[in-house]
Amino acid sequence: MAALVFLEQHGGELQKGSLGVLAKAASLGDGDVAAVIAGEGARALAAEAGKFGAAKVWTCESAEVAQPLPQPRVDVLAQVVEEGGYDTVLFANSVLAADVAAGLAARLDAGLNWDLADIELQDGELVGKRPALQDSVYAAVGWSGTPRLALFRAGSFDATPAGGGEPEVAEVSPAYREHSTAVKLVGQDAAESSGPSIEDADIIVAGGRGLGSPDNFTLAEELAKALGGAVGATRAVVDAGWYPYSAQIGQTGKTVSPKLYVALGISGAIQHKVGMQSSGTIVAINKDANAPIFEFSDLGVVGDVHAIVPKLTELIRARRA
Amino acid sequence: MARPSNFPPPFSSSDYVAEPTDPADERIEVGILIVGGGPAGLACAIRLGQLLEEHPDVAERLGEVPVAVLEKGKQPGSHLVSGAVVDPRALRRLFGNRLRMDELPTFGPVTGESVYVLTRRAALPIPPPPPMRNHGNWIFSLSQLGSFLAERAEEGGAMILPETTAQKLLVSHGRVVGARTGDKGRGREGGELGNFEAGSDVVAKVTVLAEGTQGHLTGVALDRFSLHGEDPQVWELAVKEVWKVEKPLDRVIHTMGWPLRTGKRYREFGGSFIYPMGKDMVTIGLVVGLDYRDASLSVHDLLQELKTHPKIRRILAGGERVEWGAKTIPSGGFHSLPQRLHAPGLLLCGDGVGMVNVPRLKGIHYAIESGRLAAEAAFRALQRGETPATALSSYDDAVRDSFIWRELHEVRNMRQVFGRGFIVGGALASAMTVSKGRVELGKMRAEPDADQPLLVTDRDASYPAPDGKLTFDKLSSVFASGNKTRDDQPNHIKIERRVPREVARLWEHMCPAQVYEIGAEDGDGTVLLEVAASNCVQCGAITAKGGRLTPPEGGSGPEYTLT
Repeated sequence: MAALVFLEQHGGELQKGSLGVLAKAASLGDGDVAAVIAGEGARALAAEAGKFGAAKVWTCESAEVAQPLPQPRVDVLAQVVEEGGYDTVLFANSVLAADVAAGLAARLDAGLNWDLADIELQDGELVGKRPALQDSVYAAVGWSGTPRLALFRAGSFDATPAGGGEPEVAEVSPAYREHSTAVKLVGQDAAESSGPSIEDADIIVAGGRGLGSPDNFTLAEELAKALGGAVGATRAVVDAGWYPYSAQIGQTGKTVSPKLYVALGISGAIQHKVGMQSSGTIVAINKDANAPIFEFSDLGVVGDVHAIVPKLTELIRARRA
Repeated sequence: MARPSNFPPPFSSSDYVAEPTDPADERIEVGILIVGGGPAGLACAIRLGQLLEEHPDVAERLGEVPVAVLEKGKQPGSHLVSGAVVDPRALRRLFGNRLRMDELPTFGPVTGESVYVLTRRAALPIPPPPPMRNHGNWIFSLSQLGSFLAERAEEGGAMILPETTAQKLLVSHGRVVGARTGDKGRGREGGELGNFEAGSDVVAKVTVLAEGTQGHLTGVALDRFSLHGEDPQVWELAVKEVWKVEKPLDRVIHTMGWPLRTGKRYREFGGSFIYPMGKDMVTIGLVVGLDYRDASLSVHDLLQELKTHPKIRRILAGGERVEWGAKTIPSGGFHSLPQRLHAPGLLLCGDGVGMVNVPRLKGIHYAIESGRLAAEAAFRALQRGETPATALSSYDDAVRDSFIWRELHEVRNMRQVFGRGFIVGGALASAMTVSKGRVELGKMRAEPDADQPLLVTDRDASYPAPDGKLTFDKLSSVFASGNKTRDDQPNHIKIERRVPREVARLWEHMCPAQVYEIGAEDGDGTVLLEVAASNCVQCGAITAKGGRLTPPEGGSGPEYTLT
């Protein structure tokens, strides 16, 4: 096997997933493994690639690959495969890598096995493992010719240094095809996140119709900020347009299980309950003592959210200050 | 006094009639298209499978998909609810010697029965009136029968397309040529979401509408081809629950009287059914005519009240509610049947056209029989040398010669004599005697349900508070129906949202699934109606009472398994 691994880098940082694939390929122990790194600062990253098992690293720093666009990278990889005579090219799945892998498969008329979770040698043959039937079984997949392309699921392998030495470094500068450079990157923005998303949050403050009006959602937001948590909402308030659907918790929204769930003015219909019942500690504030939420709260406060929540927020801020 | 019909919904059936629009090579071509995977549609598909097996040459000509069934529910059976004590005749005819009754998913034949007139605390037994006698009938879960029939239909070669609604009737040169399926993946305001999938034109040589009660395209077709019957159709609303119980129930029970009121001005007609589903389950349901007038009436809450009766509490003692469902039942009978059951390229079956025997409380066997007869007419229309129009009109002749017509005709005047309603029917004669006139006879129902002038009482104050054990609120009941409809889809309920308070109150109380809520006051006596459409279990009551139900995105709505 002459294997090549596509190492993805952004801002001078090699992506863990692709290093994991490199380490895995090296551990198969069937011949030397090479890697390819494209983009600014590629050469400086070659030594690190060596630590994860690359015997040879191809680098490309030309202007065409300065931006994270797939098509120029297809040209780079096609050139490397040809020059180095590689029969196997491995990718770790990402938005960029999936496009590059698909483009390379088309360019080389090669077979691509995608969504693999593992790979192994069986009697000298390379066999991929692809989860199937809702991940209940692994299908063994192979290739009918070379080069063999494979795209691995994110997180399939740990990126553990294999303890390799200094790799041999070679530069590559392919002839870029006209269509490869036709795409221009207009701008790049990171998704702005104002706090943890409700699925990841350890603390959620959720508001229901008992808040009375959309403006009163600031009560929930302030409390969430003080606690370092995220804001959730019930279907009723999302329906009424008080809060975005992305914050909806319940049967037809998101299922959450934070350590602390604070329910403000939420009656606790079963449709809401099924989305949050596995939360660690549930605290409910509602003026209706008969609200079903009190049946599954660890701490229930019968009272007016408008009076209680501002004071609670203040106390928490004071305590944290 | 306000009438819901004074506030018609923004709905025009002509919006749901269209020429095919997909390019010819993108249309889905099938031989016979059946809309609705209930007892009528599936019986039609099964019979077609039998006929096509006997005539492979015809099957050959119909192409890759000789028979297709569109089903709006998650799967066949998902939207089926009934108090299914079934007259087995139609099933026996459909399967002939291919299947025995005990090979069907049944809870067995009826072993005994009682009829009671209820008061708040007492239950007065009366002899079961002749039309209500159930000897020889079999108990089913219609939902389970539906999924069983779907498997038989697929074995016979039918292609069943679940989660697919029939949104528009395709008509070309005055002839029905199929149906357009509904779009999927639209947002609340109708915009296309990331997973948007446009509907398709499904074109067919014959289209069979077997949509059940309040069928969307059936209503459209009745308008388009002017098929409406002599009297308008009227409906009853049934809400039912399935319970796991500790001790088996040994008979079918019907009740009338309490918690419905007897005063003439209320027009509250109906009754309950309670029957065993095997040794460990019981079904209990309440049926009320939708010509009632009290804007505070809620059939769901009356069912909760009914369960607090000592007689019924005992049956459910120690038990647990496992499912809940709601559905309307057409009850206009013979005089409300369409003038014809066919139009060019089109056949109409089952509950969609009101084939329900009101005094006998039965319609499933008519649905199955009409589906079977429709299959035979559709098959005939496909034979070489047949004139399609004559062949399809033979369906009307066949229905007229069948027990459906004979029996509906026999009881056509029962409605005048006995008045009204599902349960009341034949029982009223006896009930009148025993109850010394406390059970009122209604007037004949000749006006649409939505024309009834409203009155408002404080009846809702006496509904029992839900305790989560015996009595339940509407939202937890919607949950128990299996409904987990995607919220961010367009509202499928066409309704006038700015209405007088009593009209909004009527809808709020009537809807068993808590779809409607009275919103902001307007100052001039009108309010803004809030609509939580994703709660909808598609019972159809809103169409009877002044709005219009259209199909939501395919796969929405309840996911019944026991009803």
